[in-house]
Amino acid sequence: MSKKIYEIVDKLPTGGLTVRALKTLDTFVPGQWNNLVGFDNTIKTVTGETDEAMVQAIGERAIALFNDKKQGYQSALWLYHTVDSASGLLGAAALANRIGQDTFLGFLKNLSPKPEKAQTIDLAVKLVTEVVAFCKISGIPGDSLSDFLAALGDYSSESLVRMAALVSFDGIIPLGADFSTKALNAIKGMGASDLDDNQTFKGVKAEIPGGNDKAKLSFMTESFESTKGWMDRFVSDHNITQSKLVDNLGGFIEGSRSKLDYLGAFLDMSVKYYEHTGTQTLARRLIERAVAEI
Amino acid sequence: MSFTRWLRRLAPLMVCLVLLVTACSSAPSKYDQAQKDTTGFGSPAAVDKKAEKGGTFNAFFPGEQGGYKVIPYQEKKGFAEYKLEQDGKTLAMLTISDTTSVPASASKYSAATETVGGFPAVDQGTTATGVLVNDRYQVKVLSRDPSFTKEDRVAWLQKFDLKGLAQLKGAINSVTKPSVALPEAPTAATPAAPARPKDGFKLPRVKLPRLAPSLQPAS
Repeated sequence: MSKKIYEIVDKLPTGGLTVRALKTLDTFVPGQWNNLVGFDNTIKTVTGETDEAMVQAIGERAIALFNDKKQGYQSALWLYHTVDSASGLLGAAALANRIGQDTFLGFLKNLSPKPEKAQTIDLAVKLVTEVVAFCKISGIPGDSLSDFLAALGDYSSESLVRMAALVSFDGIIPLGADFSTKALNAIKGMGASDLDDNQTFKGVKAEIPGGNDKAKLSFMTESFESTKGWMDRFVSDHNITQSKLVDNLGGFIEGSRSKLDYLGAFLDMSVKYYEHTGTQTLARRLIERAVAEI
Repeated sequence: MSFTRWLRRLAPLMVCLVLLVTACSSAPSKYDQAQKDTTGFGSPAAVDKKAEKGGTFNAFFPGEQGGYKVIPYQEKKGFAEYKLEQDGKTLAMLTISDTTSVPASASKYSAATETVGGFPAVDQGTTATGVLVNDRYQVKVLSRDPSFTKEDRVAWLQKFDLKGLAQLKGAINSVTKPSVALPEAPTAATPAAPARPKDGFKLPRVKLPRLAPSLQPAS
């Protein structure tokens, strides 16, 4: 059965680990993200309309647009959802088994940190997912990096916080302050075979531009290279540091300060920030289009 | 004895089954009909095949001026949208859409009592003002900040190249009575005669040189 966009947006959580982790980023991008949830609520907030008949008409057009597969919204949503679940696949079962049994520290002992190589590929795959999904939503050709970069400069609200989470949770925390240089050098040295056993890549590879894994890796490298400058500037402009990030997260993830590599792995499987903010970005754009077309 | 033992074993199973069944069925929603109408075999496409390419519309948007930034936002088949910003604040959204995909959008202009640039204009809801060009292209300005009033919307509608847009193809479906009534706020009660361009009226085809905005990505 087809997914119902209004139910997906209605069911976006208002609390939990993902929302709490994203809220810690408010220190760096203050006031950007207010966790907009609920389909009607999103329509009213985005458009400023309160008339129920208008809200209904906007909602119905948004649903029609989402349900038309050719419009690209469904595959964008699939990308945002899949990249998160694929990257956190390994630890999810372990986490489920331990919940309620002991402390977080006890749980960490049973969790292996992700090797740096896997973490690097994850970062690159997530970045390229953003390029492809965002282009699908906005109507930019998916392999047009220069167009994407221009759009990135105008990112705000949930899209901006998603990028903040990407550089923070998948970059700085697991790989350190020089994550972008480190990751770029690493993927430049990789071959297509290095991607073989990476779950995150496997999850979304069908949608990454390129006829084979080699071409896909080359597009990933190119995406990373062209976005690196933006990421570095973003980190320095907003004074994002590993210690500040860990301090903020330490407020609700017990014992995380002393176990950085485990913290990265934990965030990876329990914080679904691509899924959460990706759904919000998609809903916003759909509604913006729907209100203009009716 | 053995029957009650069976029952005792079966009870938790039954409870689980009931919980499972109730968890699967979601509460009815006011959008269920819209969902039903747009999914499944034979459901209509949301965007008509004959709709104009979104990129075609870029040339008719106003350019940046006097401290206002006009930033590309979305570009899909039959639709293009720009963001109007001043000092980093979003004031409004500027859009052009092809009503071929949503005929009711064009129908609402048949009751228009106002015009902008010679084209029928209506207010819709509390934040939008639109005009219909060639019985087909809907140009809308949507306020995103309370300071951006209806007068501002009308002023920005006039900054579009409406005459240039009117040189694109006319309506594919002739505008008839609205089949589905879209919500619409009554326009100001000025009984001004709508100076709609006559059906089939075409301006001579001249290529207008446009400097900005050129084809740009939506953001």
